[in-house]
Amino acid sequence: MADQTRPSVTLALMREMGLTEETLARRKAFLELRDEDSERLRGLHDLAQQYAERVIEDFYAHLLSFEESKKFFTDPVVLARVKAAQKQYFLRLTQGHYDAAYVEDRLRIGVAHERIDLPIELYLSAYNFYLRTVMKHFVEAYGNHPEQVIPLFLSLLKLVFFDMGLATETYLFQRERTIREQQEAIREISTPVLPLRERLLLLPIIGAIDSPRAQQITTQLLHGIRTHRAKVVVMDITGVPTVDSAIANHLLQTVQAARLMGAIVIVSGLSPEVAHALVRLGVDLGTVQTVGTLQDGIEAAEQLLGYAVHKVESATADRPVERS
Amino acid sequence: MRVPILKQGPYLIASIQDALTDEDLAQLQQELVARVGQYRTRGVIIDVAALDVMDSFASRTLRDLAHAIKLRGARTVIVGIQPDVAFSMVRLGLSLVGADTALDLEDGLALLEQHV
Repeated sequence: MADQTRPSVTLALMREMGLTEETLARRKAFLELRDEDSERLRGLHDLAQQYAERVIEDFYAHLLSFEESKKFFTDPVVLARVKAAQKQYFLRLTQGHYDAAYVEDRLRIGVAHERIDLPIELYLSAYNFYLRTVMKHFVEAYGNHPEQVIPLFLSLLKLVFFDMGLATETYLFQRERTIREQQEAIREISTPVLPLRERLLLLPIIGAIDSPRAQQITTQLLHGIRTHRAKVVVMDITGVPTVDSAIANHLLQTVQAARLMGAIVIVSGLSPEVAHALVRLGVDLGTVQTVGTLQDGIEAAEQLLGYAVHKVESATADRPVERS
Repeated sequence: MRVPILKQGPYLIASIQDALTDEDLAQLQQELVARVGQYRTRGVIIDVAALDVMDSFASRTLRDLAHAIKLRGARTVIVGIQPDVAFSMVRLGLSLVGADTALDLEDGLALLEQHV
């Protein structure tokens, strides 16, 4: 299937960002970017080719006068390549056909800039610089005829805002994606369910609990009971700094749900702060078995299950460590 | 759909295999309460593992059933409540006060052995 090329990264990105023909049409409608603007901009193309080189030179002279932007262009080879790309970018503005392919091209540039961590204010100041410089060239070309210059400039302004919207959203989307991926990773490692003995589970919770995490704890706990056929679960919250009433109630409901499944939940490791907070909030944990430390929790659980742990006199740990 | 009721020594076991209508539930309740006296039953196990939902009518019927069976001198254990069912029951404020619960049939029988 030669005619079916693999969808590129940017095409996938467009789909993820929800940029379809319809949503793009709506964006254009918001900006009142219409066919006559497209025509007008196309009419500008010859003029744009004339001033393109000068705009680029001015633009990079401006960029290189700042320390923070200079560091992106230390290599002259890179600078030449970037200038060529920038020229293409500017020239594309006056070629009409602001369709999906145009948007894809714009996103590709946005992604490239996001990847090198180009600050967004540089990005925006570039648009600003372009508009100001182009305005100068318009006035040079059309002389003192504002009735010609203003509609042209307004059409260009709409298109540049269209581009700016796409570029900034690409930035934001990429960063949000990074955050989402990290949250996903944290969620995966945050609530392990550990079988401690036959029919005894340990659920250590470390770090703050928010609502999605509370839900995840519930799911892990209840499904863990089923998978491991647990009778007793020790939920250790030693590592939980604070608990609000919503979370406390959620945990309470989890304990009750576990009971419906025939399992007993012991909550261990209530720190003084958490204990005070629960009392202040008026959360009634009277129906839940709570103990101070994880050790107490495990001992209570073992007692419920009928385990008795004895210390053997000649324990290995008591002997001096042998050196080899 | 009728729920089959099996006799196992001094216990009765009703295993619900499919979603039940309210009438089915009511019928199950009557039948179980009647049979408890018939066989000198000491414990009843109701397995609800196949149920994906438990509404307020179902949980109230199970609760009433457990009370009635208790009055007839036997003990009721509801077994096999699924994790999601358990949590939504708590969310909706539904409880099974009066009935014991256990993980599965095996645990249910063990619980009855212990207490009866």
